[in-house]
Amino acid sequence: MTGTSKITRYAIVYSVLSAATFVSIFPFYWMIVGATNTSAEIVKGKTSFGGNLLANIERLLEQVDLGRVFLNSAGLAVAGTLLTLLVSSLAGYGFEMFRSRIRERIFALLLLLLSVPFAALMVPLFIMVSSAGLANTFVAVVLPSIASIFIIFYFRQATKAFPGELRDAARIDGLREWQIFLHVYMPAMRSTYAAATIIVFMMSWNNFLWPLIVLQTPEHKTITLVISALTSAYTPDFGVILVATILATLPTLVLFFVLQRQFVAGMLGSVK
Amino acid sequence: MSELKLSGVKKSFGMVDVIKGVDLEIQPREFIVFVGPSGCGKSTLLRMIAGLEEISSGDLFIGDARMNDVEPSERGIAMVFQSYALYPHLSVRDNMGFALRYAGVPKAEIARQVGEAARTLGLEPLLDRKPKELSGGQRQRVAIGRAIVRHPRVFLFDEPLSNLDAELRVHMRIELARLHRKLNTTIIYVTHDQVEAMTLADRIVVLRDGVIEQVGSPLQLYDDPDNMFVAGFIGSPKMNFLPAIAEAGSVRLHRHGDVRIPANLPIAAGSPVTVGIRPEHFVQDGTLSLRLKVEFAEHLGSDTFVYAGYDGGDLLTIGANGARDVGPGQTYHARFNAGDVLFFGPDGERIRLGTVAG
Repeated sequence: MTGTSKITRYAIVYSVLSAATFVSIFPFYWMIVGATNTSAEIVKGKTSFGGNLLANIERLLEQVDLGRVFLNSAGLAVAGTLLTLLVSSLAGYGFEMFRSRIRERIFALLLLLLSVPFAALMVPLFIMVSSAGLANTFVAVVLPSIASIFIIFYFRQATKAFPGELRDAARIDGLREWQIFLHVYMPAMRSTYAAATIIVFMMSWNNFLWPLIVLQTPEHKTITLVISALTSAYTPDFGVILVATILATLPTLVLFFVLQRQFVAGMLGSVK
Repeated sequence: MSELKLSGVKKSFGMVDVIKGVDLEIQPREFIVFVGPSGCGKSTLLRMIAGLEEISSGDLFIGDARMNDVEPSERGIAMVFQSYALYPHLSVRDNMGFALRYAGVPKAEIARQVGEAARTLGLEPLLDRKPKELSGGQRQRVAIGRAIVRHPRVFLFDEPLSNLDAELRVHMRIELARLHRKLNTTIIYVTHDQVEAMTLADRIVVLRDGVIEQVGSPLQLYDDPDNMFVAGFIGSPKMNFLPAIAEAGSVRLHRHGDVRIPANLPIAAGSPVTVGIRPEHFVQDGTLSLRLKVEFAEHLGSDTFVYAGYDGGDLLTIGANGARDVGPGQTYHARFNAGDVLFFGPDGERIRLGTVAG
């Protein structure tokens, strides 16, 4: 009796897990298979590998200046990630380390701002950026994102685990506040930074709506904008789109595998 | 000239006064221990000396310079923290040389100093390890090494042994005493453990609620405490406190069989007093005796402690060496001499005059 109920339980657990696995893996499979087939085959629902990969790549290269686009995307993502990590971790550290009467009120206000959707900020932001003469520049893409409330919050939480005695020890050793941040806090919180790197890099790499609004000329286009442009053609070439999608997925995937161990450690808490 | 002087030092956090006016002079090469229950302000006082907390009012002198507004790194102090506070990303070698690096000391000189400190502390084989690869005792020694290389005038220790297990704590205690002799510098040491205080200190500073209760050598505090708090805090097991009533020419233990201790107290007859007797002052040839009922007995081999009460009252701790056959339920005659007894007034202050030897 217990044997049967155990089997039933396992059956349920494994079917749920299998379904979840299928749902997460299938898009990747579909993306890779699609890249090897023609647009017509994809529309028909062909799920096996075809022989059209090279032709798809060739057509993508004809339509898109891939090197340029990748350079734009990578430059924006790297600059955005570095600046966001620096500014937001500095803010998170400051919020946790420095006592002030209005600290919690300011922090609560920031958290409240998280609930304002980007769509509501889009237009005023664009007006601000263009009145500063920054429309159609990379600076305009990066600037609004570097003080990320979510990342500030994440760093503040992580800083709670940073021992105050380390800061005291560094003060006695003669370090100024900025040196403590740079030479003690940052290296000690390495895994927190690793986890944040993955999150921020992914956010800036995948960023679509704001670059779409603020970047207007073709030489400024990023990979997400290019993929979107490919889909809006009169007869979209799905094979080409899927090749571009694979290329767009690769950098974040590589970054994740490189930082995976640190990412997990960062999610669990940093200083040990 | 004193090495360190606190005069009228106060600290408040908002409306709350944590340190309520401390005056203290510390002599060169003294080993001073701040001791007191948690929340008494001992760590805050140490952090104020280190410069990690601001001094709300009063003056701090190290040597002959006023240090209130001087940066921690320029006060001539080094501190060892309870959690060791080693930089997790640096090797033992770099941890120890960190302060020197920021002071602009040449590399060769840093290497020499770190090498010297490592030799003193037996850390040479560990120099290239990271803190997480060390045991608690080793981390502790690295933290001390980091302090040594700065050649401070005053070492500050903030409960440095409380994260170690009991055996290692005893071992490190001896090492610290040896180190003090070797380095020959002033040490201020904070602990809540009165055994550490008794074994290490030249002088103990007993703190309670941000006020110094008494300063003195370990045996001074033990033999001649100023008040009930110090009497109860110093000594292990604790001193027994028995309620009593002052009478003409004697003190009556009204809750312990009306035993009378001959003593001329300078207070009015009928006033309540507290009688303090240390566990080891119960001796077989005592002239006074309490008839108690044993609740239980601890036979530790070298020592025996009997816990006994009178008529269901509070238990007294009695050092009863040699009483190996004492067990629960037995009647025990706890004998003591009037000369070993301390008296305290209703305000907890010691009553010193007029005690007549029994």
